[in-house]
Amino acid sequence: MTSSKRTESLAAWEAWLGDRRPSEDPATLARDLDDLYAAGPGAQIWERARQSLERRLRERMPTPLSYARVARSPVGPLWVAVSEKGLVAVEYDRPEAAFRRDLERRLRRPAVRAEEPTAEARRQVLEYLSGRRRDFSLPVDLRHLTAFQRTVLQAAQAVPRGQVATYGQIARRIGRPRAARAVGQALGSNPVPIVIPCHRVLASDGRLGGYSGRGGLRTKEKLLRLEGAMI
Amino acid sequence: MPALDVEALVRDYARPIHAYLWRLLRDPSAAEDCLQDAFLQAAASAAKGERIHHPRAWLYAVATNAANSYGRRLARGREREQAMDSDLPDHASGVPEAAERRERLRRVDEAVRRLPAKQRAALVMRKYQELSYPEIGVALGCSAASARANVYQALRRLRTWLEEVDA
Repeated sequence: MTSSKRTESLAAWEAWLGDRRPSEDPATLARDLDDLYAAGPGAQIWERARQSLERRLRERMPTPLSYARVARSPVGPLWVAVSEKGLVAVEYDRPEAAFRRDLERRLRRPAVRAEEPTAEARRQVLEYLSGRRRDFSLPVDLRHLTAFQRTVLQAAQAVPRGQVATYGQIARRIGRPRAARAVGQALGSNPVPIVIPCHRVLASDGRLGGYSGRGGLRTKEKLLRLEGAMI
Repeated sequence: MPALDVEALVRDYARPIHAYLWRLLRDPSAAEDCLQDAFLQAAASAAKGERIHHPRAWLYAVATNAANSYGRRLARGREREQAMDSDLPDHASGVPEAAERRERLRRVDEAVRRLPAKQRAALVMRKYQELSYPEIGVALGCSAASARANVYQALRRLRTWLEEVDA
């Protein structure tokens, strides 16, 4: 916008203001304001501000999470996400936008789709599901969970392949014998199913209990059969 | 509506937001500090996965708040006066008309600073940042009509004050 255009629009405002004829010439006021404000900060001032801003942001910005899709697996498509510390999410198929939004909210960090950082996790998950891998050797990042959830998941992780445990057994193993229901809930919110084998934990009556992954109990049964645990 | 992307916000808006803060505060280091406050807050919101409908207007709101709280800190510190005079454009000093011009601009500048913060912000956003009234409304947490009224009020007051001085 040129300054004459500014002057015009200010004059138009002044006309709209109406009232008594001002002794203060609106065009003069407009010109004075332009003299003070139109040019803005000089290039050097901006350059210094830009550099210090970028420095501050680099110091503060959390490293984004990386996620990618396993397009096909014996249990359907999967999403896998990692932080710089390890695996943070394995999710059964759902729309990318919803997966990403929940991931960013849950971990309070931005997430970007990236193949390379997730390659090892995807490879191991796929090998495991297709029967070419017995156990995972993947770091898992559970920092964002409560201490109780972490304890329960670590106990589930200790159940060996081909075996199962009950919710009540896990509760006893973590020293909270009356917390079987809370154990069930903690397992239900397992952010990294398959890798942390919450599917190996069953109801006390020997039935499958619950499974919140896609396909529900069918998937749970499928995973257990794959591991030779059945039943 | 995508999640906030801080890099894109910096790329698209850091410069106009900096100019806005400089115009409000008329002090390079204050503008620099407030620019950082505003974008660090944007980074924090992005980290929480927040969605923002109008990122530009929202950034102006965050920047305005940063400038206001800076202004409050400064008012307590009373270091304000020194920064001002040296910032005024220097029109061929030495000539008597130039001295007169400087004096006039000093008075206009002072009058702008005396405006209520909301009116000053609305005036600068409208006249020098070229925001629409609906955007200014979002930035100031009011309606577009109220944003417009704030600009008019600012101009009306400036005119009245400057008339008083001239008389």
